[in-house]
Amino acid sequence: MPVPILKQGDCLIASIQSALTDADLLELRDELSERVGRYRSKGVIIDVTVLDVLDSFASRTLRTMAEMIRLRGAETVIVGIQPEVAFSMVQLGLSLDGVTTVLDLEEGLAHLDRSRRARVAHAGG
Amino acid sequence: MAATRQRVHADDLADSIGLGSEELAMRKRFLEFDDDDVQRLEGMYGLTHEHVDAVIEAFYEHLLSFPETTSFFRDPRLLEHVKGRQKNYFIRLTQGDYDHDYVTDRLRLGSIHERIGLPVRSFLGMYAFYLRQIAALLVQEHPGDPEHAFQKFHSLTKLLFFDIGLGVDMYIHQRERTIAVQQDAIRELSTPVLTIRDRLLVLPIIGILDTSRAQQLTEELLRSIRESRAQVVILDVTGVPAVDSAVANHLLQTVEASRLMGAQVIVTGLSASVAQALVTLGVDLTKLNAVGDLQGGIEVANGIMRYQVVAIDDTIPEVVDAGPDPEAG
Repeated sequence: MPVPILKQGDCLIASIQSALTDADLLELRDELSERVGRYRSKGVIIDVTVLDVLDSFASRTLRTMAEMIRLRGAETVIVGIQPEVAFSMVQLGLSLDGVTTVLDLEEGLAHLDRSRRARVAHAGG
Repeated sequence: MAATRQRVHADDLADSIGLGSEELAMRKRFLEFDDDDVQRLEGMYGLTHEHVDAVIEAFYEHLLSFPETTSFFRDPRLLEHVKGRQKNYFIRLTQGDYDHDYVTDRLRLGSIHERIGLPVRSFLGMYAFYLRQIAALLVQEHPGDPEHAFQKFHSLTKLLFFDIGLGVDMYIHQRERTIAVQQDAIRELSTPVLTIRDRLLVLPIIGILDTSRAQQLTEELLRSIRESRAQVVILDVTGVPAVDSAVANHLLQTVEASRLMGAQVIVTGLSASVAQALVTLGVDLTKLNAVGDLQGGIEVANGIMRYQVVAIDDTIPEVVDAGPDPEAG
């Protein structure tokens, strides 16, 4: 099942609705990096609230996804990792180094908002 | 669970500590306690019945000559009561039918002794005293036939060792139950997650961290992060006396898992010795945001959360909405 990607201002929100196969994940990766360019987005939020497992392939793909999006000029925030998922990830030694993770969608939007303001202030100064 | 087990009906005492009929049969086989022994013991009924009063009197005289055991029998009424019980116990040794009821009775005896705090060495000493007394009686009863006397003594030894096994099991069982209850209590007390301000949690850790506790702590913390939408968590380890590499890794896992949930962790109160141990162990602590003490941790958290604590200056008149001025009307 493809992941719906919503556009909200200069952000893209990928809201995962059900467990994903490896192929779904790769499709999401390509789709997101393509749309970042098309919409000139500055931020991407990937909402993983519904996932009750994040295996090594998924965490690696999320890492590469964030890196690809960064190279395309946007920032990635992963939101909604559940306590059990977080715990099993660290136990398995899976990391999301270099990727911003925040509690939920609201926090994610707030984070991108802060980044935007920092960018504006920087450009203004 | 422990509390309900305590209230188990006495008949189930043997079952409740895992002494099924199979286990009991195995114990008897191990002691080579067989029907011949039962017969010989039953043959001694007359002897025990005849001498019970003298033996028990001598027994308590012996007990009361030691200050350690005297303290358990200060109350004369209690003393009479336990004497009666000991007489029953003594005669019961030669009444046959060493099955379920017998075992239950022995277990209850062990449990009473444990409860009053009688040391195991006194408990064992009591059995040794019985053996000595009965040996003397048997030699007396079979003058010139030591072999016969010895056989009977042998059967009695087996039965008494069977009893001792049950009594000691009961001691151990009770102690283990106490330990389990205390461990539960410690576990419940040991991992409070405190909200000291909106979205700021403090986790004071006190005592030894082992693997199961560290895991429980992490789960508890992650749940709290989600519930209170925490932004910053202060993990205060002032009360942790020692940290080994396993615990250090647990701390790092907790920090990383919290980061995945979007919360920053500040570790405070690493003592000099703990810090030295961590460095010596070579654990990679670059991801650990460590601050000297809890106060410092809260200050850093204030910085992250953009709070500022300002002392109230009494020289500046407070702006209080006093309502309509009473003198105005």
